[in-house]
Amino acid sequence: MRQPGPIIGIIANPASGRDLRRLTANAGLYSSTDKASAIQRLLAAFGATGIAKVLLPTDMTGIAAAVLKASTGPMAREQRWPALQMLDLSLTQTVADTRLAARQMVEQGVAMIAVLGGDGTHKAVAAEAGDTPLLTLSTGTNNAFPELREATSAGLAGGLLASGQIPAAIGLRRNKRLLVRVPQQQLCEWALVEVAVSPQRFVGARALSRSEDLAEVFACFAEPHAIGLSAICGLWCPVSRQAEQGAWVRLDASATQVLLAPLAPGLLQGCGVTASGPLQPGVAYPLSLRSGTLALDGEREIEFAEQDTPTITLDLHGPLSVDVEAVLAHAARHHLLVVPRDQRHTPATLR
Amino acid sequence: MSTQLSSEQLLHAYEVMRTIRAFEERLHVEFATGEIPGFVHLYAGEEASAAGVMAHLRDSDCIASNHRGHGHCIAKGVDVYGMMAEIYGKKTGVCGGKGGSMHIADLSKGMLGANGIVGAGAPLVAGSALAAKLKGRDDVSVVFFGDGASNEGAVFEAMNMASVMNLACIFVAENNGYAEATASKWSVACDHIADRAAGFGMPGVTIDGYDFFAVHEAAGAAVERARSGQGPSLIEVKLTRYYGHFEGDAQTYRAPDEVKNLRETRDCLLQFRNKTTRAGLLSAAQLDAIDGRVDGLIEDAVRRAKADPKPQPADLLSDVYVSYP
Amino acid sequence: MARKISYQQAINEALAQEMRRDSTVFIIGEDVAGGAGAPGEQDAWGGVLGVTKGLYHQFPGRVLDAPLSEIGYVGAAVGAATQGLRPVCELMFVDFAGCCLDQILNQAAKFRYMFGGKAVTPLVMRTMVGAGLRAAAQHSQMLTSLWTHIPGLKVVCPSSPYDAKGLLIQAIRDNDPVIFCEHKLLYSMQGEVPEELYTVPFGEANYLRDGDDITLVTYGRMVHLAMEAANNLARQGIDCEVLDLRTTSPLDEDSILESVEKTGRLVVIDEANPRCSLATDISALVAQKAFAALKGPIEMVTAPHTPVPFSDALEDLYIPDAAKIEAAVRKVMDASRSAA
Repeated sequence: MRQPGPIIGIIANPASGRDLRRLTANAGLYSSTDKASAIQRLLAAFGATGIAKVLLPTDMTGIAAAVLKASTGPMAREQRWPALQMLDLSLTQTVADTRLAARQMVEQGVAMIAVLGGDGTHKAVAAEAGDTPLLTLSTGTNNAFPELREATSAGLAGGLLASGQIPAAIGLRRNKRLLVRVPQQQLCEWALVEVAVSPQRFVGARALSRSEDLAEVFACFAEPHAIGLSAICGLWCPVSRQAEQGAWVRLDASATQVLLAPLAPGLLQGCGVTASGPLQPGVAYPLSLRSGTLALDGEREIEFAEQDTPTITLDLHGPLSVDVEAVLAHAARHHLLVVPRDQRHTPATLR
Repeated sequence: MSTQLSSEQLLHAYEVMRTIRAFEERLHVEFATGEIPGFVHLYAGEEASAAGVMAHLRDSDCIASNHRGHGHCIAKGVDVYGMMAEIYGKKTGVCGGKGGSMHIADLSKGMLGANGIVGAGAPLVAGSALAAKLKGRDDVSVVFFGDGASNEGAVFEAMNMASVMNLACIFVAENNGYAEATASKWSVACDHIADRAAGFGMPGVTIDGYDFFAVHEAAGAAVERARSGQGPSLIEVKLTRYYGHFEGDAQTYRAPDEVKNLRETRDCLLQFRNKTTRAGLLSAAQLDAIDGRVDGLIEDAVRRAKADPKPQPADLLSDVYVSYP
Repeated sequence: MARKISYQQAINEALAQEMRRDSTVFIIGEDVAGGAGAPGEQDAWGGVLGVTKGLYHQFPGRVLDAPLSEIGYVGAAVGAATQGLRPVCELMFVDFAGCCLDQILNQAAKFRYMFGGKAVTPLVMRTMVGAGLRAAAQHSQMLTSLWTHIPGLKVVCPSSPYDAKGLLIQAIRDNDPVIFCEHKLLYSMQGEVPEELYTVPFGEANYLRDGDDITLVTYGRMVHLAMEAANNLARQGIDCEVLDLRTTSPLDEDSILESVEKTGRLVVIDEANPRCSLATDISALVAQKAFAALKGPIEMVTAPHTPVPFSDALEDLYIPDAAKIEAAVRKVMDASRSAA
């Protein structure tokens, strides 16, 4: 008898990609229709790689409804989409919905959670996922953690891995994270890419897109080709996703030399970098500002004042994510996607 | 754009929001006595939107409002006593008792009127923005409309025109979740009203309407964009109304504890007070002093409005035309 | 100096002269210039029938093509009028009022009263009215009574080139919203028009013909049919007095009553549908205020209670003509003679 097939959870944040940066920069819009289509592309890939069931949270914007409707159509039958199971959540239309969905998926033993969203969405899912791997897809505004990928090929990689056709040592990578502690507020939050310290006193419209609103940036990893606040580190003192350290920079709005960095799509800002250095794991770094806000992965979330003493700590034991390139390279080497013509619509694990 | 507000600006913002709240809560009480005629639609709960947007406007900037317009009027500087007298149908009202709650206007303050027709304000501000453009002025125009009006053709036509003509026009969609008794998540076909902006070639953003600072920042960016000739934008402000569509609406279509929960956890005045005092920018004593002053102002407005005379029979026939032979 | 120009040229001239005189006047409408955003000629049309042709180049930036958005641009004209400008917006055909009625009915017409006398909305909405172009039910109506019914609006229906110019200049200078109804069959009509600026006041009917036997009250294109009928009837010994209302709001009640007091007989001619029309309104006015002077029943000559038909065979039946007016007059004359 066959083992019951693997289950994958899919979380698409209905609210991602709508913040102020559409007004202050030329950030794009990722509509619910686009998100529903991306999920359908994932389902095609999951169907082809032997995934039996997919868990999908309900939402108020029609993403789940569109997918559910498509799942009864001819394409779904022909592509042998996995069975769809809706998570019945009591929705608040806040980040709590994302976290609750992720929690329920872990409880139901999913092999993987596919996430469609930006850095903020990925962070919320990761906070609940433990060591359940994430298949990351970018639909947000400033994305450094999820890479920009087409859902079909990412879905193939995710499906191959979740169905046990790829060794975890090859297909998964461990990510770093930053722990943000504010003891006076009993807060311990985390970020997957960077924490920016801003003199802005309130979270306000959340996004930060002006260099004068930045005092410090702490980054887990910083790629030179990144978009967003980590780009400052990426273009000044880059550090890879794999390196066992992070980076920090301190900024001064009055500096005469500035570094041009893309802080948001279409928004190149001159940032006066006055100091920088590596971030060692396990060390709690204090801040240079006494009051202001902390932006976690691009969005201001924490307000701190004189009485608070926030610290930032690099932790090497962050979430697991699927290394799409490594998985597909392995699949290519081993011809995992090569099948007889008459079985091309039969999921790999059933052959 | 994100800007640091001075303590004067912070105090002013609080006073505006607190005045709106006190005005509306008092009307809620007074309406129940039966002394106030007609329909009254209260803005309580939505104060951060009016205060956050209007903080960026001057008298020569125009706004158009809707049936839920008291908050916009107060934030734009319309006299509170004159408004109260108008709502009571008195001769001393800002419109001489001929407009009432749904038609409060003060053109000298750039307030083109609350409006009883849903969505009708949008073309009007396209017009005031066009006027500014033809006069070579950098004044901006703002229309406030709800999730219900976001489904009106008038709003679509105005948005398209504002984009085509590159008008300094800002569309503020105050999405309080309900058009009368119909939920916006049912009646608005796209997931966010802000998404509609894309179809009219302008940026659209969704903003937390419970947070004054969020609205203030987004409106600042939109006003700066419009004033510098870069054209219109749409801001969807998500918030709630504490009272019914109109006074007397028991809101049985809402979840039992919905309003109570939002009031306790998200209230804009509460958040503003907590944030500014925790940050050490304002003191509780400063805010309390405003509370006291506002309560006195509203008390005085109600007392005078109640005592004021009604319009005279001759007023029935005046003001239809500037001249009519 | 007066010279002969067309009704259409008279309107164009009034617009040009007022725009030159007053920099707050601007024009907005669908294809009022034509060619906006297109690769070819600008001012390609000058309005769908060319009424505003040439103004685009004379007044750069003040003749604005609008998207096909009657709510949008009529509403924008109303908004601009509250801000000290004098917009002349063009609703191509009055039938399109269905698209933008709110902006006139609930906004422009109401502001002054609703805001306690503090608003001034000097808007002119020019619009093409009337049947006769085989344009069928949605491009041919005469909705005069719709506008006239609404307090806060003034309604103008010029019947000649002279009146078109003088009334339009008055409309632009007027501080209330004005609906200016241009009859499409009159555009080519020639008439004496002074070159200089002049105004024709609102609410003053024009006595086109003095007569003692019967009063014909009408407006717009029907004026010419009433005159034709009056001339024919004169040859039969019936002496008609013809009154051109010029504006239906304000309405020159005094002139109507004065004339009926003299003649004792009334025929009202209205190109519009009969129910709740100017014809019924004036009949009621006379019945109320000059009943004692009446020597016989009041007759109305109107279109039937139908939409405007397309086929020429039907449209010609639909539109009142001189023969119908003559028949109505004879009917009144006969009835009053037999009563006497």
